[in-house]
Amino acid sequence: MLYLQNVTIKRDTKIVFYNWSTKIKNSKITIISGKNGAGKSTLLRAIAGLIPLENGTIKYNNDEIFKDQIKWGQNLIFIDSKNGLSKDLTVYENLKIWSEMRGWNASDDDFQKALNSVDMIHYKKMYISQCSEGLKKRAALSRLYLSILFDVKFWLLDEPTNELDKKSIILFNKLIQKFSENKGTVLLACHELKLFDFNYELLNLDLLKK
Amino acid sequence: MPLESNLIQIFFSHIKREFLINFRSLIDVISIISFMILIVTLFVLGIGPFEEKLKFVSNAIFWIGLILAIIPSLEKTLQRDYDDGWLDQTITSPLPLEFILLSKSIAYWLIIIVPLLISFPFFVILLNISFKLIPWLFISIIIGGLSISLIGIIGSALTLGAKRGNILLPILIIPLIIPILVFGIGISETITINESPKGNLFLLIGFTLIYLVISPFISALLIRIAVSR
Repeated sequence: MLYLQNVTIKRDTKIVFYNWSTKIKNSKITIISGKNGAGKSTLLRAIAGLIPLENGTIKYNNDEIFKDQIKWGQNLIFIDSKNGLSKDLTVYENLKIWSEMRGWNASDDDFQKALNSVDMIHYKKMYISQCSEGLKKRAALSRLYLSILFDVKFWLLDEPTNELDKKSIILFNKLIQKFSENKGTVLLACHELKLFDFNYELLNLDLLKK
Repeated sequence: MPLESNLIQIFFSHIKREFLINFRSLIDVISIISFMILIVTLFVLGIGPFEEKLKFVSNAIFWIGLILAIIPSLEKTLQRDYDDGWLDQTITSPLPLEFILLSKSIAYWLIIIVPLLISFPFFVILLNISFKLIPWLFISIIIGGLSISLIGIIGSALTLGAKRGNILLPILIIPLIIPILVFGIGISETITINESPKGNLFLLIGFTLIYLVISPFISALLIRIAVSR
């Protein structure tokens, strides 16, 4: 259980969440919805530790997550609209260096499978600067497959389906299903709910009193 | 998962990444070298054919050329990672950001220092540097280069996301570079008057060690602020 307790989050000078509490269930898929500017990205970035909390705590199984940033970092993957891919590296190199950076000893076979899971194997040697937005997003999502192999518990995904075509959305759905079979927790910000064919909990930020 | 055991491997994977990025588009490396050659050449031509005049200023020209050539490329070191979201990925990774920044500054140091050392003979001829000075100059630019890249990371983190960072950056970091310049030149000056350069060398090393300790922490703090905006 991820428990947000009396959380206040500020972005610049604007208070986005004030003294707000909520619970996010383990091993479930939670979709954060809301209109533009409702605070979907801010909430995800705060849980990832990119935006410091003004007040309050976030607890995961009764441990405060930011007390042990290293442990929390091992537990989560964060992908947003920026993707985190270097322009001057190829799709394969980006994935490989990213996994090395997390200290994973993934084999070449794992990378092949990861790229296959988002149908990127043919674009393996393509530079990111040559990729379209959709391909970039798929290259970023190939990390999700690797993370299943290396026991990550949380996926924080900010609008992952934005640039994807129909076929890729089906592949993405499969990845999420595979992750939830392995007892993973997904937090997903999106406003297009009809794209997903799995059971999810809805966290609607529009209904929130601020 | 025992993260500590492959800490060194992670350190080198970051260095490898910087090398791949920088040597694939050689433009940054080439611009540093060509800019330095340009500054030194202009100075030498400006002084005219008087060997005695050159003797007085050659050390200063070398160091100022080095600093001025490195500064324009500093801004990009973190800005590029910030723009494509790599910094978000490093912050959400299991390793402390400080550790990653340390590997980044060491990678940057190697990237700027290797081409400079290769083009070193050219500067020796151009500036008429005497033979007994060469090994000491070699050592002092290797150590000084590390300081400059450590300071550069602070400056780069400070101007992250700022619109006019390229103007702000030199103003912010040059005061920090002054000790490096003073002691770096001091090493060469003491040798030309036949004294031991050890005092200046130790001060240079001392300042580099100070920057080595504080730079990752300060820049990590600044990056966290920049990313949270």
